[in-house]
Amino acid sequence: MMPLINTSCVTEEEFSNSPSGNFEALWKIIDEKYCFLDYKHINWDSIHTVYAKSITPSMTNDGLFEVLGGMLANLKDGHVNLSSASNVARYWKWFEDYPENFDDSIQRKYLKTTYKIAGGVKYCILDDNIGYVYYSSFEDAVGEGNLDQILSNLAVCDGLIIDVRNNGGGTMTNATKLACRFTNAKILTGYIQHKTGTGHSDFSDPYPIYLDPSSNVRWQKKVCVLTNRRSYSATNDFVNSMSLLDNVTIVGDKTGGGSGLPFNSELPNGWTVRFSSSPILNVNKENIEWGIDPDVKVNITSSDYEKSIDTIIETARKILKK
Amino acid sequence: MRKVLLILGFLAFFSRGYAQIDSLEANRLVTTANSIGVGGVNILDTYLSPLEYKGTEVRFMNEKMHLTKFFSGHVSAQRIFQANVSYSKNPTEDNSAFSGLVNWSYALHYQFKVNDHLKFLVGPAADMNLGFIYNLNNGNNPASAKLYANLSASGMAIYKFYLGNRLFTARYQANIPLVGLMFAPHYGESYYEIFTLGHNSHLVHFTTPYTQPSFRQMVSLDIPISRIKIRASYVFDMQQSHINSIKAHTWSNIFMIGFVKDLYVLKPSVHQRLSERLKAY
Repeated sequence: MMPLINTSCVTEEEFSNSPSGNFEALWKIIDEKYCFLDYKHINWDSIHTVYAKSITPSMTNDGLFEVLGGMLANLKDGHVNLSSASNVARYWKWFEDYPENFDDSIQRKYLKTTYKIAGGVKYCILDDNIGYVYYSSFEDAVGEGNLDQILSNLAVCDGLIIDVRNNGGGTMTNATKLACRFTNAKILTGYIQHKTGTGHSDFSDPYPIYLDPSSNVRWQKKVCVLTNRRSYSATNDFVNSMSLLDNVTIVGDKTGGGSGLPFNSELPNGWTVRFSSSPILNVNKENIEWGIDPDVKVNITSSDYEKSIDTIIETARKILKK
Repeated sequence: MRKVLLILGFLAFFSRGYAQIDSLEANRLVTTANSIGVGGVNILDTYLSPLEYKGTEVRFMNEKMHLTKFFSGHVSAQRIFQANVSYSKNPTEDNSAFSGLVNWSYALHYQFKVNDHLKFLVGPAADMNLGFIYNLNNGNNPASAKLYANLSASGMAIYKFYLGNRLFTARYQANIPLVGLMFAPHYGESYYEIFTLGHNSHLVHFTTPYTQPSFRQMVSLDIPISRIKIRASYVFDMQQSHINSIKAHTWSNIFMIGFVKDLYVLKPSVHQRLSERLKAY
C-alpha cells in the first residue's frame, strides 16, 4: 500500500545476500562501529583490498565464513566474533599464546570438597586461615545477601584471596557489585567513551566511572586478586577497580584485556557479529584493551605443576601473611 | 430506543413543550470509535541492526471527536489513543524482534464546510509516544527505547453520502510532525552508560521534518447497519527518525474494524433534572 501523500523514507544501505554483499556489510559494520581501529593502528581500508580478492560469487558458506573470520582476526580482539549456525569465528591469541597459569584439578586440592557455594562464587578457608574466593564468571550473578554471607563467614581470616583466573567476563554490574565491597570511599576507577559518529575518530569525551562503597558488609583486611591471561572483559574491569585500592595486591599474570564494551549487529545472510563499541579507560585515561599488569608477576612453575601446587595461590598466601 | 428516551428526557426538562433539538449544544455531541486492526510492519533501527525486520502488527485505536465553542463552533477537537504491538523477523528469518508503541494525540481542527456533504478540517495536533523495539539476539544493545512528542500539522477531509436512506461517512486524515522532542542515545552509546553509569546528558533532541520525516494517515468509512455504525479503516503509519547517525523507521499498514457511537454529554445540572427511570447509576 503506498501512502496517499509521500514523504522521504529513512532507509539504510542494503547489501545483497551474496558473498560480496555479506563481505561489504561486515566490512562496513566494523568500519563505522568498531572503536579500536585508530588505537590499534589498523588500516581497515587496506584490509578491505586484501580480503576482497578472496571473495568469489560461487564460494561456499564455509569458504565465506573462513575469509570473513580471517578478516576479523586482524582486529586482535576477543570481543569480536562472527557467528553462523555452524561455527563461531574468534580471536583467542590473547590467552592461547601464554601460559595457562590455572589448573582446576590443582584448585580442587585447595577448595577440597567442603567449599561453600553462594551465587556464582565458591569459597573456603585455607589451612593457614586465609580466605579463598573463586569467581569463575561474571555471567553468574551473586546477590548482596550472598556477598554479606561470604565476607561474614571469612571475617575470621587474616586475609582474602579473590581468584578471577579464567574468568572471561560477563556482566559489568556483577563485577562492580563485588568490587564495591572493598572500598570505604567513592573512588574514580576510569572512564568510558562511546562513538558519536561513523568516523574512526568520532568519540565522546571520556565520561568518569566511579566505584561507590557498598552499604553492606565491606572487607577491611588485605586482599590478593589472582589473575591470568584469561581474566578478560568485565574481569579486566574488576581488576582495574581493585588495583586502585590500597589494601589490594594483584598477583599472577597480566590480564587478557578486553576493555571494549561489545555491541551486536548482523549480516544479510543472518550471521551475527559482535564487536567492541565503547572503550573503557583507566584513571589516567589510558586504554586497557591489552590488559593490566599485576603488582606481583608470578607464573605457576612446571615443578609446582608436577607437585599439584598453585604457585600463584602460594605467593598470595605469603603476601597476606606478612 | 435510548436516543428516543434521551430526547424525551429533554422534552420533559424543557417546560415550553416544543421540540428542543435545535437548542442542543453542538459541542456536547461526541462521536467516539473503538477499532482494532492487524497488518504488516517493516521495522528498521540501525542501533540494533542494519537489516529491515518484517512482520505482523496488531493495533487498537480509540478516537473521540466533538465540536468546541471556539470560533463560533467552527473548531472541532479530536483525541486519539492508539497502541500497537508487533512481532517481526530479519530477512533470513533466523532472528526476531518485538516492538510496541502507545500514542496519544490531541488535535483542534478548523472546519471549512464546502456543502452539506463535504468539509475540510485543518489545524494543529500534539502527540506523545512511548514504545520500544527489542531484538532477541543482541547483547549490550538489545533494545531501542522510543520516547518522543510532536507538534504536527493535521488535515482531514470528511465526505458524507447516502446510499438509499443510510448516511455513510468517508474520511481521510493526515498528520505530519513539524517540531518535536525525541529521546535518542548517541551513535554508539550503550544504555549501560546512560542508565547504570548515569551519563544522561544530551539525550533529548529537537526534531524537525528533516530529522523526523514521519507521517500518519488514515482512511475510514463509517457504515450504518441497522442500529449500529461500523467503521472500516486503513492506517498507514510511517514513524521515522535520523538522529545521531542512527536511522529508524516503523512502517505500518493496518486494516482496522470498529464501532462508532454518537453520544451526547450532559452537563451535571441537566443530568440532575432527568427522571430517575432514565438513570442506571
